[in-house]
Amino acid sequence: MSYKVTEEGNISTVFLDGEIDMDKTEAAKELIMPLIEAKKEVHLNLKDVQYMDSSGISVLIESHQKAEEVGTKVTLKEISKSVLKVIMMAKLEQILNLE
Amino acid sequence: MNIVESQDFAVNTKSLREVRDFARNIFDKSPILQSQKDELVLAIAEAAQNIVKHAYKDNQDTTDKMQIKISFKDNELEIGFFDKGKPVNEENIKHRKLDDVKPGGLGTYFIQQIMDEVVFKESTGWHNHLVLTKKY
Repeated sequence: MSYKVTEEGNISTVFLDGEIDMDKTEAAKELIMPLIEAKKEVHLNLKDVQYMDSSGISVLIESHQKAEEVGTKVTLKEISKSVLKVIMMAKLEQILNLE
Repeated sequence: MNIVESQDFAVNTKSLREVRDFARNIFDKSPILQSQKDELVLAIAEAAQNIVKHAYKDNQDTTDKMQIKISFKDNELEIGFFDKGKPVNEENIKHRKLDDVKPGGLGTYFIQQIMDEVVFKESTGWHNHLVLTKKY
């Protein structure tokens, strides 16, 4: 997994890529959580994420819930087909913010 | 087309990528399996992850290997997982309720959604032998 972060006003856009599994979730959390704690609106761009397992889905849930707790928002952008399939299998398409 | 392939993997999170590559290479050999490759790879990776996360929870520095055997015969896919970690108590294997949204507890649910049957069997020399099957 590699990443790029861009900032525009209060919006931080995190571009993730590669495969997000249990081995990569800590790195993903260390990247995303401080942005949420700083009350940034976070856009997670998942266009180049080819694979995500239940550990990756847990990061999405945790990010979403943390954002709600601190009064901000996490939005998933340009979700790749394979990641969307997993989100839908977990029936999270109505829970997470998808665009 | 009949396929039987087996490989040993170190029991750690770094191996999960190797597990997925092993599975993808096999599924690419059969048009039937290739059409469901993403889901099948996810099921295999989740089961391997459960070994690392649960069977070796208290033994993260292990040098043990886990073995994964994939066979496809007569349009039936069978995937075996063998490990020498803490014996699994099947009664404790439950996925969380989907409407109780929280991190974790989805791996087993994904496996059950993707495969037809998920059972533990006895296997000499191993502590756990999980078998996933799917008919085509």
